[in-house]
Amino acid sequence: MAAAKNIDELSPAHKQVASHLQGKFGKRLLETSSFRGDLTYVVSPQDWLEVLTYCRDAEELRFDRLDSLLGNHFPEREDQPFEVIAHLVSIPHTTRIRIKTRLAEGETLPTVTGVWPSASFDERETWEMFGVVFEGHPNLTRLLTVPDFDGYPLRKDFPLQGRVGGRIRWNFKGEI
Amino acid sequence: MTQFIFLIIKAAIVFFFCVGLAAMLIWGERKYAGWMQSRLGPNYAGPMGVLQTFGDLAKLLRKEDVIPDTVDKPVFRAAPYLLWVPAALTMAVIPFGGMDAKIFGWRTDLVIANFDAGIVLFLAMGSLAVYGVVFAGWSSNSRWALIGALRSGAQMISYELSMGLSLVGVMILAGSMNLVQIVDYQSGAFWHWNFIPQLVGFVIFFIASIAELNRTPFDLPEAEQELVAGYMNEYTGMRWGIFMFSEYVNMIVMSAIMATLFFGGWRAPFESWNVIPGFLWLIAKMMGFIILYMWVRWSVPRYRYNQLMSLGWKILFPLALANLAVTALVVTVK
Amino acid sequence: MSAPLEEKVEQRTRPTLEELKERKARNRQRVSDNAEVMTISMGPHHPSTHGVFRMDLDLDGEVIVDVRPEVGNLHRGMEKLAESKTYHQIIPLTDRLHYVVSFSQNEGYCEAVEKLMGIEVPERAKYIRSMCHEMCRIANHIIWLGFLVMDLGAITFQQITFREREYIMDLWEMLTGARLTHSFARIGGVAKDIPDGFREKMAAALEVIPKRMAEYDRLIRNNRIFLARGKDVGIFTSEDCAAWRVTGPTLRAAGCPRDLRKDEPFAAYDQLDFNVCVEYEADVIARYVLRMNEIYESIKIIKQCLDEMPDGPVIAEDAFHVIPPKKDVLRSSAAMIQDFVQVFRGPQVPKGEVYKAVETSQGELAFYIVSDGSPKPQRLRITTPCFYHCQAMQPLLQGEMLADIVGIFCGVDVCLGSCDR
Repeated sequence: MAAAKNIDELSPAHKQVASHLQGKFGKRLLETSSFRGDLTYVVSPQDWLEVLTYCRDAEELRFDRLDSLLGNHFPEREDQPFEVIAHLVSIPHTTRIRIKTRLAEGETLPTVTGVWPSASFDERETWEMFGVVFEGHPNLTRLLTVPDFDGYPLRKDFPLQGRVGGRIRWNFKGEI
Repeated sequence: MTQFIFLIIKAAIVFFFCVGLAAMLIWGERKYAGWMQSRLGPNYAGPMGVLQTFGDLAKLLRKEDVIPDTVDKPVFRAAPYLLWVPAALTMAVIPFGGMDAKIFGWRTDLVIANFDAGIVLFLAMGSLAVYGVVFAGWSSNSRWALIGALRSGAQMISYELSMGLSLVGVMILAGSMNLVQIVDYQSGAFWHWNFIPQLVGFVIFFIASIAELNRTPFDLPEAEQELVAGYMNEYTGMRWGIFMFSEYVNMIVMSAIMATLFFGGWRAPFESWNVIPGFLWLIAKMMGFIILYMWVRWSVPRYRYNQLMSLGWKILFPLALANLAVTALVVTVK
Repeated sequence: MSAPLEEKVEQRTRPTLEELKERKARNRQRVSDNAEVMTISMGPHHPSTHGVFRMDLDLDGEVIVDVRPEVGNLHRGMEKLAESKTYHQIIPLTDRLHYVVSFSQNEGYCEAVEKLMGIEVPERAKYIRSMCHEMCRIANHIIWLGFLVMDLGAITFQQITFREREYIMDLWEMLTGARLTHSFARIGGVAKDIPDGFREKMAAALEVIPKRMAEYDRLIRNNRIFLARGKDVGIFTSEDCAAWRVTGPTLRAAGCPRDLRKDEPFAAYDQLDFNVCVEYEADVIARYVLRMNEIYESIKIIKQCLDEMPDGPVIAEDAFHVIPPKKDVLRSSAAMIQDFVQVFRGPQVPKGEVYKAVETSQGELAFYIVSDGSPKPQRLRITTPCFYHCQAMQPLLQGEMLADIVGIFCGVDVCLGSCDR
């Protein structure tokens, strides 16, 4: 793959991160890009857990915090419409990095709750909003929407208005 | 026969005095809190909102009496009264004035029951009040209420101990458990009152009485921010109102007892001031304590459960014992 | 300026991470094996869950065995809604995240959009933004203290703190015309310049607030019950904070000097002189002391902002991305066309994705924007600190007493509007 575009924008610390990751993973980083100083890597779902764990543990990187983990939906990409994006932060080096993976419909991703426990809510949200299943998540249930909500609201084909998904329920007998 | 009629009249007066004062205290506490918190407090019903409590009372009486399905119904219904009645009964032993006083040509004692075990009655009634709280929490079949009831059971029983012990010093000094005789023992100007020799006992009694009353900093049974309303979680309408009311009746009783035991009861601070009737002095003293209670309630945070227990058992209880020993020693040596 | 608190801290210790861990382990109670666990639902209408948070508590007597936090009762679908609005229209939505610090949310969003569009914000606007950020911080920390002490049982204190917050509210009213949700930040600057008389009013408020803070100190700093309720309660080390993405004052109270105002400066913070407050005890008292010190720092920053503020426009002159000032719209045809295009079509945005984090008074608030070149974002994700703070209730509360829930929960500063989005 090509080296990072706009690499000159990056700060020296980020350049080091980029060269280190390039040296470590090489071809397994499917895409590398940089926009407005944000460094982005795309990895395959199989490498997801390994890359993230390496980013946390490597002494030169020390990305000790998962800043956020979220999903995205691109319906125009037929084969791999879903993206899961992790933003990592290194408190000692004050660097940031974005690692993405692309998923097909129904493809699963290993959970990173073992690496960062804070990923738990994020993965639950991503699952309920996009339908991306995280394998091995201890409690993959609906977080923000009601437990019996139908559909995945943040997918692009989910309408903004209407009666899709949730419904007003009255019959709670036996549940409360 | 005349004495019997007088008894009924006295009981009725004291009862209505208690109820009326409790109603005014609810208003007063809200007004006091408003004053402390730079806001107005109730100000719609009547001048300065004095009728607020009566409005609330009418509202509570008209409310639906919700009794949840899962509660233990007889106990649930009885619990508020179990808290109320012992509180009000204690007022019977408080002397409001001298014995054999002359009223409109009739002679009577200005106390409902002049009997020898006054302090014991007070302590017994205080212990009975625990049942009201525990029954309310237990029968509600709600977990918040249960935690409140358990906390209150533990708290009231441990503080009752230091409370009882702190009173023994007074009993030893006066040589009696009759409240009338204790007041007689304190006759004279204010330096004859019990709070000077029994200062430690008074402080212990005051702290323990806050715990008995379930007020901040010891309001764990109903800790609003933790347990919502504690043991009275499931109560609505007037049943809840009775809980509220009995808290204030309890407060009146506690301050009356404190005034009687430690501050000379109905006696004026100076002999010459006794021209003002005794019951006014008693009420004035009670008001002082009630304002103190309110002040404490609205100023300090709440203790945690284990801190409350260690305060009760590790500080107050040994202190009360030491106070008792010292008092006994001094009295014997004299 | 920060002297009044610094002097009073008795024997300020700096425990190491190991000491903190050991202290945490000692303070958290162990649950016996044959414990009878009672499950209890706390919330969503519980008085001290600060909104509609719900926890399933497993209790062994008064000791918390396990906590299962549940959020989402205030979910308004803000991210879905944002995908159907232009970049300008999203600003009022961000107000509604947390009404106490709504400017910080506006500004965080605008920073992200400006990063995406590559807009250079005028210097004066940067200073105004910094000043507003600190106003948010003062107001938030003051009422945080009120809520904390109220949750510990002293209700009067909360009313007193609201009195001081009113100074900040009056300033907001003067500056923006609104008190709570004042969508004041704009893409490329701020909506208005500071009005006449604002400096004097601000100076008067900044005179009063430290005096009132000294009053708070007298009320609770030496209050034995308050100290007993906060000391060694809810210890959360910097390692825990990193693992659970707990940011802001909770992280700084654990001895980690992480502040985005210094580390990744936004607004005018790179030109201002201030200190990052750090505490080392990592308990509720440390969080309280830290926040009080931060208020003194904020006062310092606001004074600097007002003194050093350069003259100039308060919004960038950028015809492609920025709504022009209203008085230009009514006078010049170019500005009118610009206004028309911005309002009806929206800004012209390059393709790309950005992630921008700012330091609000709760913690690090981040916006992730994906743009496909249209005037509406393809995806907007709001990463709020409170979302993770709610989640961190589980490690924070395990082993603590039931009564400490309220202190710890309030101590990390959670707003459910911000959490549920």
